[in-house]
Amino acid sequence: MNGAQHILDAFHRHGISTVFGYPGGCIMPLYDALVDDVGTEHVLCRHEQGCALAADGYARASGQLGVCIATSGPGATNLITGVANAHRDSIPMLVITGQVPSGLIGTDAFQETDVLGMTLGIVKHSYLVDSADDLAEIMDEAIDLAQSGRPGPVWIDIPKDVLLAEGRSRPIETNSANSQPTARTDLTEALAMLRTAQKPLLYSGGGVSLAHAEDNFREFSETSALPSVVTLKGIGNSGKHSAHHLGMLGMHGSRAANRAVDECDLLLVIGARLDDRATGKLDTFAPNARTIHIDADAAEINKLRSVDLALRGDLNGILKALTTELESAPLAISDWQAQCRTWNTTGGFSAADNEEPLAPITGPAFVRQLSRIAPADTVIACDVGQHQMWVAQHYQFDHPRHHLSSGGLGTMGFGLPAAIGAQFADRRSTVINVAGDGSFMMNAQELATIRRYNLPLKMIILDNQCLGMVRQQQELFYNNRESQIDLNDNPDFVAMARAFDIPALHIERTDQIRRGIETILAYDGPMLLHVAIAREENVWPIVKPGASNREMIDETKRNAKQNREQVA
Amino acid sequence: MNSENQPSTPSYTITCRMSQEAAALERLCQVVRIRGFKIARMAVESAGEHLDIALTLEGTRPIAMLQAQLEKLHTVLRVDLQTPVSAAISKTA
Repeated sequence: MNGAQHILDAFHRHGISTVFGYPGGCIMPLYDALVDDVGTEHVLCRHEQGCALAADGYARASGQLGVCIATSGPGATNLITGVANAHRDSIPMLVITGQVPSGLIGTDAFQETDVLGMTLGIVKHSYLVDSADDLAEIMDEAIDLAQSGRPGPVWIDIPKDVLLAEGRSRPIETNSANSQPTARTDLTEALAMLRTAQKPLLYSGGGVSLAHAEDNFREFSETSALPSVVTLKGIGNSGKHSAHHLGMLGMHGSRAANRAVDECDLLLVIGARLDDRATGKLDTFAPNARTIHIDADAAEINKLRSVDLALRGDLNGILKALTTELESAPLAISDWQAQCRTWNTTGGFSAADNEEPLAPITGPAFVRQLSRIAPADTVIACDVGQHQMWVAQHYQFDHPRHHLSSGGLGTMGFGLPAAIGAQFADRRSTVINVAGDGSFMMNAQELATIRRYNLPLKMIILDNQCLGMVRQQQELFYNNRESQIDLNDNPDFVAMARAFDIPALHIERTDQIRRGIETILAYDGPMLLHVAIAREENVWPIVKPGASNREMIDETKRNAKQNREQVA
Repeated sequence: MNSENQPSTPSYTITCRMSQEAAALERLCQVVRIRGFKIARMAVESAGEHLDIALTLEGTRPIAMLQAQLEKLHTVLRVDLQTPVSAAISKTA
C-alpha cells in the first residue's frame, strides 16, 4: 500500500465512514486512492473552512471523530478557523493535509506553507510525516489521541511523495482507557462537602457530553436534586423537564442562574472550565462558595479559580458513584431548592409571544415558537451573535448533542457547515441552522453542498440587516456610536437560496411564524426561511464584558438610565 | 520611579524531557509564551530519541499552571520544577 492507501486503510480499521474535504495539488494521491475505495463517503464542501466546520458539526452531533481533508498552502490555511473552533471546544477531529514534496519543503515552493508551525497553537497534537512507513502508526495514534482524555483536533501534514511511496503496515496497539480511577477518599470528601452545604449548586458544561456521560449526569442531577446552571456548551445536560434547572449562567445568562451562583455556598463544577463569558469578573464570582471541580483535564484545575477539591478520572464512574451514595441518603436542601424555584419563576428566561398578529417578529418569540413546533430530537446548529443567545435562552433542549454552538472561539459562519455535518451524522434527523444575516453570509457557499447531496436540512435566517450583537454593545457600551455594523444591502436571501435550487420563504409578521416553521419542516428537502426582525432588538439580560455577573443590565434598567439622562 | 522599588519578576527553572519530533522546541516555546512567561535562558541537549531541555523562565502567573499545560503536550514526557530562582537567591542573600 502507498501512503494514501494507508490513510484509507486506517479509516476502515477505525470505522470512519464519512469525511469532509476539498482536493488540490499535493493531496491528489489521496483523492486518486479514493476513486477505488469502498466504504468512505467523501463529502465535497465548497470551501475548506466549510469542510472543517462540517467535520466539527458531525463530531458534535454524533459523538464520533470528525475528519477533514485539504491540500497544502491555501487549502490548509482555509482550514485553520474551523480547526481552531474545534480546539477551543475540545471537539475530536482528524485533519489531513497534503504538503509539497519533501525535497521542496523550505524552498518557498508553489502552495507551500509551514502548516506545522502555523497551527501549533490550535491543535492537540500534529505530525509532519517523513516516511510512508510511519503513516499507519501515526494514523492510529492520531485517531486515538483526538478522542481520548480531553478531545481535540490532531493534524497530520503529509508531503506528496510520502502519499505516493509504498509504506509498511505496522499499526500499534493504542490505549485510550488511560484515565486514572478516582480515589475513594476524594469521593467521600466530595460527598461530605455536599452534605454539609446549605446551598449547593451544580454547574455543568460541555465536558459532560464530551465524556459521553449524558445519561449518568442526568441520573446524578435527578437523584441529587441539586439546583443547576449550565454553560453555553452544557445546554441540554439537565434536560428540559428538570424542576431544579435555572438555565444558562453568565453574560447572557438568566437572572435566576446568576443569582444562584452568587448566593450558593458550594459550587460543584462538572466538565466546565470557568470561562470568562460564564463567570464575569472572577473576583466576584460565587464569592461565598467552596468549589469542587470534576474535569478530565488536569490543567483546568485551579487555572482560574482555586478549588477546594478536584476530582479527575472517568466522569461516568464518578457520577455513578456519587449517585449511588445519594440514592441511599438524599441531600436535605429543600429550603434552598424552594428559593431557587422562586428565583426561576421571577428571573428565569421569559419572553412575550408578541401575540398581536400584525406585530413585527421578535427573535425570542420566534425561537420559543420554533422550540414548541420542532420535533423533540431536532438538532439546532447556531451561528454566532444575537440569534445564538436567543436560541440558548429560549429553545428548550433535552440533550446537549441537539445544540451545536461555537462556544470558545465564537466563529461566525459555523452554523451552516455544522448543520451539514450533523445531517451527515444522521440523515433521518431534523437539523435546523439558525443563523443571523451576518453569519449566514460567511459560509453561504455551502448552500451548494446542501443542494448537491439533497440534504433535508432547514435554514432559518433571523435578519436584522446589521451585525446585531456588535450594534448592541456599541449602543450600550460605546455611547451608541455605531461603527461598521450596517448590512442593509444584504442580498435577497430568498432569491439567493433559489439560485441554488433551494426553495425559500419570507416572513415578517407574528401571525406568519407558525405557518413559516411548519412549511419548512414539512418540506421534503432543504428549505430556507427568511425572517425579518427589528434592527433595534437586543439580547437581555447582558453583563458588560469584564464586569461582575451581579451587574446584569436588562431592558428595564437600560430604559430607566436613558430616561434619567434625558431629564438631566 | 526608583527602579530599586520595583518588584522583580519571579523567575523559575524547569527541566523538561520530550520526544524528538518535528517542531518539538517550537511547540514547547509556543506554550511558554502564550501562557505568559518569558524565556530568559534555554539549554537543549539531544539524548537519543529525546530532548532534555532546561529553561529559566520569568513570569508573574502561577508556574504550576504552565507546568500543567506543558505536561499536556503529547510528546512531553516529564516536566520538573526546580527551586524558584528568585527564592533561592533571597535565601542565600
